[in-house]
Amino acid sequence: MAENSSSLWMVSPNRMRLSRLLRMSRRDVLLGGMGTVAAGGLVSAQAAEPDAHGSNVPGQPSLLSVNDPLVKQFLDLSHRLTDRDALDEWIAAALCTNIVQSDAKRKEQLQGMHALLEGGKFASASDFARAAEKHDPAFKDVIHDIMAGWYRGVANGKVVVYRSALMFDITKDAVYPKTYAAGGPFYWTSKPPEVDPPKGQPALSPSKFVVEPT
Amino acid sequence: MSSENLSADVVIVGSGVAGSSIANELVRAGISVIVLEAGPRVDRQHFVENFRNLENKPSYQEPFPSVPWAPHPPDQRTPNEYLHTTGPDAEAYQQVYLRMIGGTTWHWAGCAWRYLPSDFELKTRFGQGRDWALKYDDLEPFYYQAEVMMGVCGPDPAVEDLGSPRKQPYPMDALPISYAAQQFRKLIDEKTPWRVVHEPQARNTRPYDNRPTCEGHNNCMPICPIGAMYNGSYSVYDAEAAGAKFIPNAVVYKIERDEANKLVTAVHYLDPDKGSHRVTGKYFVIAAHCIETAKLLLVAADEKSPTGVANSSDQVGRNMMDHTGVQVTFISGDKALWPGRGPLETNVIDNFRDGEWRKERGAYLVHMVDDNQVDLATQMAIAKGYVGRELEERIRYLAAHTVRLFSHNEALPDPNNRLTLSKTRKDVLGIPHPDVYYKLPEYTVRSCEHTRKVFRELIGLMHGTDEQWTPGYFPQDHPSGSTIMGVDPKDSVVDGHCRTHDHENLFIASSSVFSTVGTGNITLTVAALALRVADTLKKELNHA
Repeated sequence: MAENSSSLWMVSPNRMRLSRLLRMSRRDVLLGGMGTVAAGGLVSAQAAEPDAHGSNVPGQPSLLSVNDPLVKQFLDLSHRLTDRDALDEWIAAALCTNIVQSDAKRKEQLQGMHALLEGGKFASASDFARAAEKHDPAFKDVIHDIMAGWYRGVANGKVVVYRSALMFDITKDAVYPKTYAAGGPFYWTSKPPEVDPPKGQPALSPSKFVVEPT
Repeated sequence: MSSENLSADVVIVGSGVAGSSIANELVRAGISVIVLEAGPRVDRQHFVENFRNLENKPSYQEPFPSVPWAPHPPDQRTPNEYLHTTGPDAEAYQQVYLRMIGGTTWHWAGCAWRYLPSDFELKTRFGQGRDWALKYDDLEPFYYQAEVMMGVCGPDPAVEDLGSPRKQPYPMDALPISYAAQQFRKLIDEKTPWRVVHEPQARNTRPYDNRPTCEGHNNCMPICPIGAMYNGSYSVYDAEAAGAKFIPNAVVYKIERDEANKLVTAVHYLDPDKGSHRVTGKYFVIAAHCIETAKLLLVAADEKSPTGVANSSDQVGRNMMDHTGVQVTFISGDKALWPGRGPLETNVIDNFRDGEWRKERGAYLVHMVDDNQVDLATQMAIAKGYVGRELEERIRYLAAHTVRLFSHNEALPDPNNRLTLSKTRKDVLGIPHPDVYYKLPEYTVRSCEHTRKVFRELIGLMHGTDEQWTPGYFPQDHPSGSTIMGVDPKDSVVDGHCRTHDHENLFIASSSVFSTVGTGNITLTVAALALRVADTLKKELNHA
């Protein structure tokens, strides 16, 4: 038996992602409303076939440089939309690359949103998000992409970062990213921190979201 | 045809918990064993990497891609690329499982329930379904042997009696439950007539069998990253160390019998390049998972047995059962729980596992799942429209307060719920895909309705909001019944020792022999039945 066929089970996560995207599941369609998977994402996923182990695969757009003007604009938008001053520029470059690959309109939309940011004064992420959706309803999907990128570590249906996703940063006093627990024996029996009900309001119009069975 | 000489005292098809544990027992008794596994040899670390790179983390099947010659269902979606389900409740039977060395326990949660004595006597006690061709007491010593093999932790029966009489204590002390589960148990104790018990688990609460103590990575499904949870691969390694021969990528398609059609003489397998190989033996065990076992017996139909091997009863592929699930996710209005600290499934409401009402409706158990909800909370908060600081505080709140409940509801054996071979879809070796027709028994539907009422009460007690019910019914991946056990060869496939009625040296070790499905996860009972098969084989071979 050929050696390659015996190791077929070791397909890469990218290939699994491709396979899943092409199946276009019910969940994906639902999440599509959140901008996580758009029709353009399918096209670029096909173009990325077979495997992208890095940025230099033929037919695969290169990872944008941290000095690329678009990455700088993306980082400006990200700072504003996360209310955070310090974000990693390498992660920004990887997220930006994947978000741009996911949809043919994203580059222009990011530039348009950046122009909006530059042209006004916005005191908070919520202020800017409200203004952006009002300016162009399609910006909501772009903001969702940026939020999912930084907080979930996911862009273009792909895990760009796992442990460094901000959702784990803001919960690190209570839980660990799965597979990375480090709390000592039976840490889970102790009392975790209390969390008061939040008072903040949504900035964007709501999108449909359904919890799928596991 | 290959000229190699493949022969052993016992030939086993399938390398999951059942096949590997039989192999280990036999080879250590000086009996030669060959195990044929359709899928590849795999390793844990690659699955851990796949999981970390998986966008849809709750998809337990996706880190385990199948190979073309041994396809398994890629997910629980209907229509499915491999397991085709039809009928009024097709989606309720969209099972997932794995075809690879070690089997489906690569992604189980380690829940290691013994069945209740009444589960084996459903017909006698409640007038429903069937009785098994064995009693709880017949299986009790093998339950204990399986618990020792897997390393099961559980409560002291003097303190917390789970209803299945024990002659020995659990091999390890019960796993201390999480803060979230403690609060849930307190609520149930104070506000309801029910109770929350420690779930018995094949998970180390101390170093055991050269594997470490559980560290609470909260990733039992799809893959324990450190091997603190037992899976079938450990029995494979044990069996191999003792001299058992495991052949991966060996897809059995033919079961050869003698002239009288009473004794199996060989099985034939295809390798990925379609080369055919013949393996002879004295005894044969099919231990290939409920769905693949029935599929193989049907695929092996020939002139002597035109409806399939071991199928004179016409029951092969019938009586498909599962634990059907009801599931709800909601936001608790009480204090923070922070689920997801520790293992996934540790606590159960067990009051609905048994009672006189089983004359009317199926039993069930309830899990309050201890699943890390940070990713789900993030997706929900983004979908609600939060950004910036407001998003961060919302994620924290949702992650600390999201609760998920689900149930295992008992099915009944119905011959019309049937697995057949696809007439149109085949794998690369030309072997048909399985089709399953499924209609939920009314007995199960009534059970699920009762569960929904209980869940609504629990949501009220926890001041829950934003409840999201998983639509309809969903499979719990506990398929069973496809080669049903019974005393009468006319309406069952195997006897009480899991020996096929038709072929005296052919045994089946799988949940496919279950006559009823009870409520507890099926794996410990699969292992106990398998170890009992090993015991029978040892006696017969040593006697011979």
